[in-house]
Amino acid sequence: QTIRVAHVDPDDWTASKKGAAAHIFKNIVEGETDLTVELFPAGALGNEDELVAQAMDNVTQVVLVSGAMSKVCSAASVLDIPYTFSSATVAWKVLDGEFGKALGDHCLEQTGLRTLAYGETGFRNFTNNTRKIRKPEDMAGLKFRVQPIPLYLEMVSGLGGEPTPIAWTELPNALSTGVVDGQENPVGVIYNNGLHKLQKFMTLDGHVYAADFILISDEFFTGLSDAEKSVVQRAAIVAGNMGRSIQQWSTAEGVNKVQAEGMQVYSPTADEIAAFAAKAQPAVVEYLRKELGDDAEWIDRLQAAVASASE
Amino acid sequence: MNMVGLLARRIFGLGAGLSMALVFAIIFINSLRRYTVGSSVAWGEELPIYLTIYGVMFGCALAYLQDRHIRFTILTDLLRPGIRDRLFAGVDLLTIAAGIGLMLSGHDFASRRGHIAASGLRSLGQSLAETTGIEALEGLARIGTWQFAMTLGGAMLALAALIRFSERLTGDKTVA
Amino acid sequence: MIYALFLLLLVIGTPIAVTIFATILVFMGFGEAPYSLRIVATEMFKGMNSFPLLAIPLFVLAGEVMNESGITGRIIAFANVLVGRLRAGLALVNIWASVIFAGLSGSAVADTSAIGRVFIPEMEKHGYSRPFAAALTAASSVIGPIIPPSIPVIIYALIVSGVSVPALFLAGVMPGILLAIFLSVYVMLTVKVDRGNQAADLETVSRRSAVLGGILPLLMPVFVVGSILLGIVTPTEAASFAVAYALFLGIVVYRNIRLSRLPALFAGAMRDSAIILIIIGAVSAANWLLTYNRVPNLLTDWVLGNVDSQTAFLLATMALFLFVGLFLEGIAAMLVLVPILHPIAVGLGIDPVHFGILVIFNLMIGLITPPLGLCLFVAEGIAQVGMARLTRAILPFFFVEVLVLAVLTFVPETVLWLPRVLGY
Ligand code: NA
Ligand code: NA
Repeated sequence: QTIRVAHVDPDDWTASKKGAAAHIFKNIVEGETDLTVELFPAGALGNEDELVAQAMDNVTQVVLVSGAMSKVCSAASVLDIPYTFSSATVAWKVLDGEFGKALGDHCLEQTGLRTLAYGETGFRNFTNNTRKIRKPEDMAGLKFRVQPIPLYLEMVSGLGGEPTPIAWTELPNALSTGVVDGQENPVGVIYNNGLHKLQKFMTLDGHVYAADFILISDEFFTGLSDAEKSVVQRAAIVAGNMGRSIQQWSTAEGVNKVQAEGMQVYSPTADEIAAFAAKAQPAVVEYLRKELGDDAEWIDRLQAAVASASE
Repeated sequence: MNMVGLLARRIFGLGAGLSMALVFAIIFINSLRRYTVGSSVAWGEELPIYLTIYGVMFGCALAYLQDRHIRFTILTDLLRPGIRDRLFAGVDLLTIAAGIGLMLSGHDFASRRGHIAASGLRSLGQSLAETTGIEALEGLARIGTWQFAMTLGGAMLALAALIRFSERLTGDKTVA
Repeated sequence: MIYALFLLLLVIGTPIAVTIFATILVFMGFGEAPYSLRIVATEMFKGMNSFPLLAIPLFVLAGEVMNESGITGRIIAFANVLVGRLRAGLALVNIWASVIFAGLSGSAVADTSAIGRVFIPEMEKHGYSRPFAAALTAASSVIGPIIPPSIPVIIYALIVSGVSVPALFLAGVMPGILLAIFLSVYVMLTVKVDRGNQAADLETVSRRSAVLGGILPLLMPVFVVGSILLGIVTPTEAASFAVAYALFLGIVVYRNIRLSRLPALFAGAMRDSAIILIIIGAVSAANWLLTYNRVPNLLTDWVLGNVDSQTAFLLATMALFLFVGLFLEGIAAMLVLVPILHPIAVGLGIDPVHFGILVIFNLMIGLITPPLGLCLFVAEGIAQVGMARLTRAILPFFFVEVLVLAVLTFVPETVLWLPRVLGY
């Protein structure tokens, strides 16, 4: 049997979190079972939404996705509430603990996709070309490119910026010519795509922690032998940790490199982060409560899980 | 069939022209607004794309009726007109089949996960539904509404090929 | 089997888009893998679901509006002042009007139809053979998408993320002008019928007013490219500015577009774009199937195993693209091949902007080669001389263009000098 593993990040395991996760998954599964694993990196089989759809049809068996998950399992969007996780280690505790397990079970019921493990795309940060941003007031009047996702629009306008949807493919041009003043992305994405050359300032505010979901078609998973299931499950957990490590590595390296190339990087204090949170969170939480309906309980469950993990 | 052909040309042309006009207007006005007032609308990126996909479906059907599609003619040009007409009638039948295939595929595509919201269009759909009181307008925000273009496109292509097929049999000449 | 079906459908004159998705439907119906019918529509939708692709209908619309608004006539009068009195003057005006037109339009087909309608009859009146006139019109319109703005450049940057559109735009300027110079030299050496005095017949207006009349249309590229460089718009949005400017000239300034004509213009532009966009959709569905069956990986491994030097790679890819350009529409060919070949080119140390312009230039030559050359089709439609005669007439121009391609390939400075000087 063949497991097709797809994601949209580059293949290179030394710089790409999903690339690294996919490679170690392949090595473990092929080494310890008779299964064959074929890798489809770099969006070869489609964007994240399509990969999720293919996994739901068992056309592609394993997919590593980030933002697309909350479109098919809306409860997962609570992870995007800005300034929820004070650090990645808190996020790991929450996702690897009871909360992550419960969310995975809930999404399995909703979609037929089993969450094998969580990796990480990383914290998203604001960059811009106009001024150093220390507090929300510094964002006033600046146009930030965001994905056209309501939660991001709410967040940026809550902080006082002007959210401006621009296609990702047009972003480098839009930044270099000044169609927009800034954007927001994880450091690795900023560095790997050369966006730091187009932007003078970065604030490590870490507004949204983006998790990676390592998903398998449950139809496929239940067809495996018990021994294979256990290897696949273990390989995914190792892959998630590998992805997190590579992500941490490229963020740390990226922060150094963008500074070496002339970008001014600012790390806000805990008080400053609290000021950002106070502006951004209420608008987003209010929006999500309305949007999620019955699933709104996941907001409270997450906040409880974060509180106990932060102790 | 002549009446049907004329009517189909009208409708396909209307659909194609309307989508072209809207796409131009939205992109032009949205980029002007962003530069002058500093703000642009959240649906300014997604809506023109979806409108274009509908426009392509109308445009393809229209192009089929007008024999404008890109194809190899280098060999068919060498055939005697009588034989060529019969061959093209065969191509029409094949296109009818392909159009129906696309229609089924599109239906499967749009009905499976079509309820998902198209992220940028959410607010547009909701506010339109609220201000006009027409619930159905909320459908604008659902991706399935736009994915349905493939179903409609398959159906229109099959219809266009059927019209051309009957025109070839009856010897009606296409008028642009 | 499946390839035989594909070829059979093609040669009997089935529209290419229909051929592709009929083949895929059959493949999915009889294939063993866990395909679902849904994937055809899903991937076609995805193939068209992209903002930069909107440059196609917008630039086609801009071209249609320019034809309608009398801008074409003013460009020709302006080019006539520049080169009309030289040896082979009419042929030169045809070429250099294309250069000016290229600055306004992103599409070669729009150029062939605009300039062809005027020039093919005019050149025949002055002793040129009709096939020659049609061939020259098609051959020089290839300049259109090389000089910015350009649809293929926008699509190329969409396929290869990280290559900047402004850099590619600037990189196309010199190759476009070089092509015009080579074509000019060729016609000056070979044309015997036109000693340059006949161009005076074209001077329905005085030279002074021809120059003045050229100013407003010539401001258009300044306006379009300027709005990109000044950060007012993205390259795709700039296409809508081109439309707006052409509409403004046609409706307000020259007053020769009646508002009642607009619906037909809009519908025609969408129809002419639809036949390209539907192929792009069908090709992306086919691409998905190929990828799922790992065909690109096999191809990449084969290339990497057999080609190891820059020169060998460039020669091989240029030959491949020329061959593919015979049969495939250029943008569709880019969608299939560029994702495979671009990483290899970069890996071999070839400048991505250089490679991009080579690919685009190469595939634009495909616009004038049978059996599938869009500009050739349009020129034939106007000239009505038959594909066989037109093909014979276009052959020398094809060789001139391949010669320019060779120069661009082996002298990278001809491509890279301008973007480098301007800091890209
Ligand atoms: Na151009
Ligand atoms: Na060709």
